[in-house]
Amino acid sequence: MSQNEGGAGTPAKDHGVLYIGMDLGTSRTSVSASNGVRETVYSMVGYPKDVVSRKLLKKDVLFGKEALEKRLSLKLYKPLEKGVLKYTGDGSMSDEAKANLKAAQDLIGEAIRLAKPRKDELIYCVIGAPAEASMKNKEAIIEAARAHVDSVMLCSEPFSVAYGLEWLEDVLVIDIGAGTTDLCRMHGTMPEDADQVMYDIAGDAIDAELARLIEKHCPGAQFTIHMIKDIKERWGYVGEPSERAIVELPVDGKPTPFDLTEHVRTACAILIDPIIKGIHKLVASFDPEFQTRLKNRVLLAGGGSMIKGLDTAVEKAMKERLGGGKVIRIEEPIYGGANGALKIAHDMPEEFWEKLK
Amino acid sequence: MSLKDTLKEAVKQMAFKTSLDSLKKKGVQQVSVLGIDRIIALIDEAVHRSLKSRLVGVEREAVADATKAEFLRMLRSNEELQAQKSEVQKLKERAEEEVDQLRRELQSQHQELQIKLDAGDPARASRYEGENAAIAGRVNELFHLLGQSGGAIGLSTVQDKVLELLMEVVAGERKDAEAARKALHDRDVDLLQRRIGKLNESLAHTERRLREVAAMKSLDDGISSVYRDVQGLRADDMQVGRKKELMAEIFKANLQLQKKKSQ
Ligand SMILES: Nc1ncnc2c1ncn2[C@@H]1O[C@H](COP(=O)(O)OP(=O)(O)O)[C@@H](O)[C@H]1O
Repeated sequence: MSQNEGGAGTPAKDHGVLYIGMDLGTSRTSVSASNGVRETVYSMVGYPKDVVSRKLLKKDVLFGKEALEKRLSLKLYKPLEKGVLKYTGDGSMSDEAKANLKAAQDLIGEAIRLAKPRKDELIYCVIGAPAEASMKNKEAIIEAARAHVDSVMLCSEPFSVAYGLEWLEDVLVIDIGAGTTDLCRMHGTMPEDADQVMYDIAGDAIDAELARLIEKHCPGAQFTIHMIKDIKERWGYVGEPSERAIVELPVDGKPTPFDLTEHVRTACAILIDPIIKGIHKLVASFDPEFQTRLKNRVLLAGGGSMIKGLDTAVEKAMKERLGGGKVIRIEEPIYGGANGALKIAHDMPEEFWEKLK
Repeated sequence: MSLKDTLKEAVKQMAFKTSLDSLKKKGVQQVSVLGIDRIIALIDEAVHRSLKSRLVGVEREAVADATKAEFLRMLRSNEELQAQKSEVQKLKERAEEEVDQLRRELQSQHQELQIKLDAGDPARASRYEGENAAIAGRVNELFHLLGQSGGAIGLSTVQDKVLELLMEVVAGERKDAEAARKALHDRDVDLLQRRIGKLNESLAHTERRLREVAAMKSLDDGISSVYRDVQGLRADDMQVGRKKELMAEIFKANLQLQKKKSQ
C-alpha cells in the first residue's frame, strides 16, 4: 500500500520529517527511526501454500518469526540470502528469482511499516544493503522502498555501520553473520570488489562445530541444532572463560548436566583464523602509508561479534601474526547498521532528498 | 425555535381554556380579547428594551475585558482540544472494545435463540401440581354417582363413563401443556428477539461512533518524528567537511542508480 498515492484523501505532508535507517541483512532486517522506533524482523517471508492455508492463516503474507513458525503451510523465502536474487547472464530472471524479488519487496514494506510512520510526515529512508548486492538488486530494493517513502537512498552496509560510529575513513568492518563473515575495507562510501573478502565460516559454522564436539565428547546427549545455537548465544566466548558452561542435555530422556566450557571455546575459535587471514589480505593490499591506521581501526559487527572475548582474541592474534592492531566491537550489533543509516539520513542535505523524489 | 415561537409556546401553556357559557354563569358579560401574537410582540419588545438599556450602560473597558476573557477562553479551549485528541484516541479504543463485546454478545444471543427455536419437544411440558388430585376427584365423583344409582348401571356403561372421563382429562391436559409450552416459548423467543434488536441497534450506534472517531484527522496512526523540518549536517559537526563529501558521494551514486531506473 502506497502512502504517496495522489487524490483528495492524501494528507498534506506538513507535520514533520521522519527519517528511517534500515539494515537489510541476510538473516535479519532492522529499522531505527527518528520517532524513536527500533524494530527487527528475521529476513524471512512466507506466502500460504494454497487456498486452505490462506483461509487458516487469514493472511496473504507472513514475516519473520511468524513465517518460520508457520513454515509448514507456507512457501518460505529468505530473499536476501546470498545469490538468491541472482540474474542470469542476459539480465532476465528465473521464476524463483522473481518470487524472491517480490519477497524482498514485501519485506522492505513490512520493515517500513514497523517504523510506524505517520501519513502526514515526509519519510526519508536510507537503506544499508549488503556490499556485494548487484546493481540490479539495488534497483529492485529502491523500487520496493519508493512505494512506501518519499525519498530513498541506498548505501553499503559496512559504510553505514562505520558512519554510525563516526569512523569515516580507513576502517575495516568485520560483519559476522549467520552464513558468512564479511570483511570490508572502507575508504569513501562505496567499497569495490577489491575492498571485500568473504568467508563462509560464521555463526552457522560454529553451531555445526559445537554439535560435532558434543556428539563426540558427550555420549548419549540428545540435542537439536536450535538448542546448540541457543547454547552458543548464551555461553559463546573465546580466550579465558569467565564462568563454566554447565548445560543440561537430555540423555535417554533424562536431563543431565554437561560441562561444555572447552567445547564452546573451541567451536567459537574457528572464526579467528579466517578473520586474521582476511585482515591480512585487506591490509597488505592497502596504501602502505595507511596500513597501520587501518590495522588500528578494526570494527567487529553482526550477531557473531557478541561472542565474549572475540575483540581481545582477534587483537592478540593480530599482534602475533600481523605485528599489532586495535579492535573495537560495536555496542549494538543488531542495530548498528540501522543506527548508522539513520545518521546518514539525518545528515543528508535537503536538496539531495528533493532531487531524488 | 425563535424567541417568538418559544414565547408563544409558553403563553399558550400558561393560558387556560374556558367556554363563553361558563363565563356567563360567573356573571361575566364582556370580555376584552388580546390576540396571542400581540401578547408575544409585547413581551418580545419588553425583553429587547431591557437588553438594550443594559448594553448602553456597559462601559468600554468591561467590553474589552469580556473580549479578552473570551479570547483567553478560546485559547484554552484550543489547548483542551489538544488534550481531547488523546482522549478521543482512548474513546476510540473503548468504542472498539465495546463493538467487540457487543458482537460477541449478539452472537451468543443468536445462539440461545436458535436453541430455543430448535426446542420443539412437547415432553418438556410441565405438569402442574394438584392436577393428579383433580383427576382423582373426578373419578371419585363418578364412582360416587354410580354408587348412588344403586347398581342399576351395567359394567359397560361404567367402562364408557371411565373412558370418557379419561379422554377428557387427557385431552385437557395435553391442551394445557401445549399452551403453557407455547406461551413459555413465545415469551423467551420474544424476549430474545427484542434483546437482539436492541443489541443490533446499539452495535450500529457504536459502529457509527467508531467511524466518526476514525474519520477525525487527528487520529492518524503512527508515531511522530522528533523533527519538524529536514535536518542536514550540523555546522558545528567535528567532521562536517568530510561528511559533506561523503553525503554528496552517496547522493551521486543514488542519482545514477535511480535515474537509470526511471528511464
Ligand atoms: N549472543 C550471541 N553470541 C554469539 N552469536 C550470536 C549471538 N547472538 C546472535 N548470534 C549469532 O549471530 C548470527 C546472526 O548474525 P546477524 O548479524 O543477525 O546476521 P546477518 O548479518 O547474517 O543478517 C547467528 O549465527 C546467531 O546465532
